[in-house]
Amino acid sequence: MARRTASVSAIGVAGEMVPQVTVRGPSWDGRFTVLILFLPPALLLFTLFVVLPIGEAAWYSAFNWNGFGRPTNWIGLDNYRFVLETRAFWLALRNNGLIIAVSLAIQLPLALTLALMLAERFRGAVALRMLFFMPYILAEIATGLIFSFVYDGDYGLVASIWRTFGAEPPHLLASTDTAMLAVLIVIVWKYFGFHMMLFIAALQSLDKSLIEAARIDGATRSQALRHVVIPLLYPTIRLSVFFAIVGSLQLFDLVMPLTRGGPADSSNTMVSFLYNNGISRMRVGYGSAIGVILFAICVTFAFTYKRWFMRDE
Amino acid sequence: MRLLGKLGLAVVACLLGAKLAAAETTVKWLHIEANPAQVKIWEEVARAYEGSHPGVKVEMQFLENEAYKAKLPTILQSRDRPNIIYSWAGGVLKTQIEAGVLDDITDSVKGYSDSLTPAALAAFTSNGRVYGLPTALSQVGFLCNKELMAKAKVDPAGIKSWDDLLAAVKTLKAAGVTPIVVGGADKWPLHFYWTHLAVRIGGKAAFDAALRGQDGGFAGETFQKSGELFKQLVDLQPFQNGFLGFKNPQAVGYFGDGKAAMTLAISTVYHLQRALAADKVGLNEDKMCWFDFPVVTGGKGAPTDTLGGITGWLITKGSPKEAVDFLKYFVSKEVQTRLAAGNFIIPVVQGADAGLNNAFMKLIAANLAKSNYHQNFYDQSLGPSVGRVVNDVTAEIAGGSMSPQDAARAIEAAWKQGN
Amino acid sequence: MSNARIIRAPLDPSVLLKVVFLAVIAIIVMVPLLATLFGGFKSLGELRVNPFGLPRQWEWQNYADILFSARYWQLLRNSLIISTLTVALTLIVASMAAFTFAHIRFYGSSMLLSYLTLGLLFPAATAVLPLFIKVRDLRLLDTYFGVALPQAAFSLAMSVLLLRRFFKDIPYELLEAALVDGCSYIKFFRYVTLPLSRPILATVGTITFVNSWNAYLLPLVMLNTDALYPWPLGIMIYQGEYSSEWHLILAFITLTILPTIILFLLAQKHIVAGLTAGAVKG
Repeated sequence: MARRTASVSAIGVAGEMVPQVTVRGPSWDGRFTVLILFLPPALLLFTLFVVLPIGEAAWYSAFNWNGFGRPTNWIGLDNYRFVLETRAFWLALRNNGLIIAVSLAIQLPLALTLALMLAERFRGAVALRMLFFMPYILAEIATGLIFSFVYDGDYGLVASIWRTFGAEPPHLLASTDTAMLAVLIVIVWKYFGFHMMLFIAALQSLDKSLIEAARIDGATRSQALRHVVIPLLYPTIRLSVFFAIVGSLQLFDLVMPLTRGGPADSSNTMVSFLYNNGISRMRVGYGSAIGVILFAICVTFAFTYKRWFMRDE
Repeated sequence: MRLLGKLGLAVVACLLGAKLAAAETTVKWLHIEANPAQVKIWEEVARAYEGSHPGVKVEMQFLENEAYKAKLPTILQSRDRPNIIYSWAGGVLKTQIEAGVLDDITDSVKGYSDSLTPAALAAFTSNGRVYGLPTALSQVGFLCNKELMAKAKVDPAGIKSWDDLLAAVKTLKAAGVTPIVVGGADKWPLHFYWTHLAVRIGGKAAFDAALRGQDGGFAGETFQKSGELFKQLVDLQPFQNGFLGFKNPQAVGYFGDGKAAMTLAISTVYHLQRALAADKVGLNEDKMCWFDFPVVTGGKGAPTDTLGGITGWLITKGSPKEAVDFLKYFVSKEVQTRLAAGNFIIPVVQGADAGLNNAFMKLIAANLAKSNYHQNFYDQSLGPSVGRVVNDVTAEIAGGSMSPQDAARAIEAAWKQGN
Repeated sequence: MSNARIIRAPLDPSVLLKVVFLAVIAIIVMVPLLATLFGGFKSLGELRVNPFGLPRQWEWQNYADILFSARYWQLLRNSLIISTLTVALTLIVASMAAFTFAHIRFYGSSMLLSYLTLGLLFPAATAVLPLFIKVRDLRLLDTYFGVALPQAAFSLAMSVLLLRRFFKDIPYELLEAALVDGCSYIKFFRYVTLPLSRPILATVGTITFVNSWNAYLLPLVMLNTDALYPWPLGIMIYQGEYSSEWHLILAFITLTILPTIILFLLAQKHIVAGLTAGAVKG
């Protein structure tokens, strides 16, 4: 690497002669060198590992292929039909919907409330902010394992609470009725702190004089909050919603240690469904079809959301 | 980029170099055996082999059963793949053969292979070519806990029909005993019920017809009825609390802890439960009982038909010849007799069953000898993707989220998708 | 949480409500973490009857066994190698691209930039199967690079955007003066841009590091040899092996998240700023 850079800068130095002649500012040659040296690594890396695989997913999804050798068994759009006919796919889609709903209905208001409390200066505020942010930086795998202990029917915290009331402890993660609920609780626990930080950052950059003006005009605290602060936070709220949705679409690590998507597929997300049905069975065609569908959902969502809600940014 | 590639290669070469420097052939042997007592014997065998074959090193690697199944397709495609891998034969093996990731070892085992039970060897043979060696047979049936059965006054010897089983479950529940423990999170322990019912209801004829797509295939009557009968059992809530969250090792440990009266299990669990019990002691032999899977009234299958495994070892593509050589050593009469004497396996080398010295293992060996139709596990015999669907849908029936009819149709749909 | 205002107006019900609310949330956040930490100090028997409280008998052995096992250190070492590779790749490649986008106007520049930002729109998981095939064909399966290269590729989009915004703020006059003085673009990049951009490089590096350190899916698909496993994979295997021996699993969890927590306490400014600022431009 070093040798290459050295020889390049030699060319670059030679290139410096040009501007003195043409008196046109920086030379085209110098810029050209940078262009052909600095840009290709990024473009290549990105194309090879991000863009091409998506294109290949579309191609592979037309085959029935177990991942050995090369794909040969062309089956057209059948994989898409198989995916859409799989009950677990719709369950996964529903679960992603649930995650988004919970993010909007519970996590967002919670984060906003906490942000409003903790954006003020008082002793302990910073410590509390850090504490609430802590779950976010923990690995999802570790969080999932911690909560699989919390929920464990024999040793867990929940079981122990149940037992003190003399009841038979439930196995929350082992029932199709409660597994997804249990996962949702962990999601809120893990991510509310991140959204809270977003709001705190926004609140701290707000123009305080607007709020003071409102208060001077006789608005109560809650009126000022409703009519001045919250509207000013709209861009951040939209951003927080955006992250909640994108996050839900890629949720995987958290689900694996908790339930592996089970029991009976009741707590799969799109990605864990992709893993359980495509990757762990090496059904490359089928799995690619799921990937393409997920890609389509993500891109459609991102563009619509940007167009509808984030036009001004 | 190229530079990075080179850098990567350099690092890899560095890592490989470290291994090559030892200047000996390493045979990498990937296994899934959870019973430390058996692994210990294997290790002794490997060390003995190394002793008599200087320059060869046998390296054992362990993966947990479920992790192994999920990782196998990728393991087979990596460069640093193991040389000897575990196999349940069946459709999964067929896929691997078609993919060309295994070595054809026909010529290296010529003559030697005559010593093996023909049916077991056949499971590892395709179009006359041998791709692996069998090591053990097993049978699926009900293991029971004598004390708990007695507590509810249920006589295990009296459970002959499916209805007897249902009645026993009711009696056990009434007596406050957990009737059955099952590792529902791994799904395949649940698929034993559905599969064994199909073996009892339709016999070999029904399975073969389904493979050919006759009689409605896997959506046909036999398989719908299997689901219905399984659902009868499920509706009694016979399993331990939270059974869908239990992995198989946990469930086996639960049985070993004496917390449930029965478990439908592979015969090897008889000994495995000791290792997985909380106290590492588990149930003594005089505390355990066994009965074959009950028959279904009006079923076409013979009561002697068995469900179980034919397990063995495969050699992956491009392995050193020492790998086959070690495998032959491992599946020799001497080693098989030793493993049989430890009651770990029902051996496949002819004559090695003389080593069996335990009444239970002799019973299983006799059952298997009597059996005219030994059905391999569906999740293996139907190939990697269809087999997984069988596991999925039986778990769904057990969880109450799918009807027996839909379950049968889902399997048929998967079978038609092929792969 | 002795709030100055509480002392002034102890009877204000809204303040009281606020304190109670914050305390409840704090407890909900802390209890699972503390139970994990202390659970590792208990015996399995005690864990069952006393999952919440402090250990009655401190079992240092659980932690000691893990700390003295080669396995734990190997997992951390692998994670460290993979994360460091990813960070190094990301920083080098992204800063070079960002420099180009920030300082050189050329035909197609904005088009290429939006091409890169495509990467923000979808998660790596969507294309993980073809990615596996690609890595296999490059013969990088079961190597550190097989994980680090895709991870770096997926973190490029965000990194280039963040870096470019910062690079653009470096006064243009500075560049012009340097060029006139005979300094090349590349020397400028090396001796002016990069040193001036230490804060943003630290931020981008931290985000990339944390993401790579915690990643599970890509290593799961790309690595097969347990000697190469990073800790999230290793801890899942550990949990599979010790299925119900929660006291050991909890000790193992505590020890594996410890580095993250220490890093967080040391570099909280960078992490918070990075993760939320990275977010703001998302």
